[in-house]
Amino acid sequence: MKYIPLLKVSFKALGSNKSRALLTMLGVIIGVAAVILLVSIGNGLKTFITKQLEDLGSNLVVVLPGEIDVKNFSFSAGSQAALAGLATSKLKIIDAENIKRDVPLLEETVAITLSNSVVRFGNESKISQVIGTTDNYTKVRNSPLREGEFFTQKDVDSARRIAVLGATVAKDLFGDKSPLGEKIFIGNFPYEVIGVLEEKGAMGFINVDEQTIIPVTTAQRQLNLDNVNMIYGQVASPDEVSAAIKEVDQVLSTRLEKDDYTVVDQKEVLSAISSILSVITISLGGTAAISLLVGGIGIMNIMLVSVTERTREIGLRKALGATPETILAQFLIEAVILSIGGGLIGIVFGVAGSLLLNLIFPMTLIWWSVILAFFVSVAVGLLFGTMPAMRAAKLDPIDALRYE
Amino acid sequence: MDGISIKALDGISLMIREGEFVAITGASGSGKSTLMHIIGCLDTPTNGEVFLEGQKVSDLTERQLAIVRNKKIGFVFQQFNLLARTSALENVALPLIYSSLSESEIEEKAKEALNMVGLSNRLDHQPNQLSGGQQQKVAIARALVTSPSLILADEPTGNLDSKSGQEILKIFQQLNNQGNTIILVTHNQQVAANAQRIIKIKDGKIEEK
Repeated sequence: MKYIPLLKVSFKALGSNKSRALLTMLGVIIGVAAVILLVSIGNGLKTFITKQLEDLGSNLVVVLPGEIDVKNFSFSAGSQAALAGLATSKLKIIDAENIKRDVPLLEETVAITLSNSVVRFGNESKISQVIGTTDNYTKVRNSPLREGEFFTQKDVDSARRIAVLGATVAKDLFGDKSPLGEKIFIGNFPYEVIGVLEEKGAMGFINVDEQTIIPVTTAQRQLNLDNVNMIYGQVASPDEVSAAIKEVDQVLSTRLEKDDYTVVDQKEVLSAISSILSVITISLGGTAAISLLVGGIGIMNIMLVSVTERTREIGLRKALGATPETILAQFLIEAVILSIGGGLIGIVFGVAGSLLLNLIFPMTLIWWSVILAFFVSVAVGLLFGTMPAMRAAKLDPIDALRYE
Repeated sequence: MDGISIKALDGISLMIREGEFVAITGASGSGKSTLMHIIGCLDTPTNGEVFLEGQKVSDLTERQLAIVRNKKIGFVFQQFNLLARTSALENVALPLIYSSLSESEIEEKAKEALNMVGLSNRLDHQPNQLSGGQQQKVAIARALVTSPSLILADEPTGNLDSKSGQEILKIFQQLNNQGNTIILVTHNQQVAANAQRIIKIKDGKIEEK
């Protein structure tokens, strides 16, 4: 028995009812496309967020107010309040200075205050996240300047009213004009613009382009507070992070209570987020796989109908010398053609959709999901084609020929 | 079935020689269909032996029977049993796709068979474009295409008008003259009269040879 004529027979049978074949494939098409798209979305999110967190600066030790269990993503009431507002944070500039002095592993420490304020120039105004920080901020946060310069240690010590603008803030307030040397208002206080940051794009929850950066001392004076929201410490290499965390913790505990602060490293946050996103990806893919299963059941259904409709044809073929294996092969081939056809069309839609949607949403097409989706669709055809094909193969030629 | 066995055929002893034209007749329920199925290797007897060209076929598996049918038996049915929306040529080629011939050989043989029944100008016609007589000729060509040891025709004229029926019977005569062994199953005495020998079945037994 040769398989080429058998393939022709199968294609002909399917071709004689094209709309039925297409509708049957639709289940698999949707299933495969959905698997590819949803896995792309999950992976896109993961890649995106991971990259953004890495961009925030590597080798960082972060001190946050309140008690946070990063691994379990639980926040104490204190930490939630502290993240929400500066007022409840117990961290102060002195803590940054203490750990800088007492933990030799730390190359830099940066104290940061966060607040939102209206930033105004002439008639243009916008709400911006105002970051109060120290002169070494750009080094630790890896945000170079596009023009002008950053403030110095002296500016911080003397709490000068000077500001460095994020790219979007500068564009919104000044258009294409250079903002250097101009007077802007942050809240009710006048500031001189001394620099503009390079455009970086949104980084997860933080958009550097939307920020306005001023000396931390100036910020505290304007807000009439003496605490800070967080402290960054930078170490030389990622291997030193865990040792540094221990030492930072020790230094901080001399002045603060245990639930006043949490020392975390980026890696911990990264791995926690990444594992959550992996779970999301798998569950998205799994949900889509169910529709693939439904598609398979659709194939089985239509193949059963087909076997019944073609009972006489099967009887004739058997009478003319088709063995049960040949009949089995013929109907299995039909089912697999349906599922492979659906799989290939689904891959085209899934890949095209992923690439298209990537323009508006971070999608990472994962090639293994395409290959997996293809083989699963073949398997679906074989699995759900077997029962109808067996039924056809087992038909008695005498009865089948008499079937009306 | 439920412990009751019905003997469709009982004590049949029958020999058909190569090159014979035999008619098997009998009323419906006489057992002629069962006999035809056994001769056609579509079924095997619960008891007894069947030989085809010296090969014992009564204890073959379903798969082996299929191969024997493919190589040695050509069927002609009352209902023609042609595949719809399929050209005459492809219909005739059907048994050959279950053999090991190449595509070009298959096409050549199918054309040759259609030529023998006088339909070489209807190769691409589909069954619904052919008359009943022509359809049965296609079916005969399909039976011939494998050069079988035996052509088994089950009421081949049953669905045809008498003129077409005569034509079909003439073809069987010709085929027999060319040396083909033909078994014609019919309830029609006139049709059976075309054969050299008539075997009459009644209540599962051979009544008359």
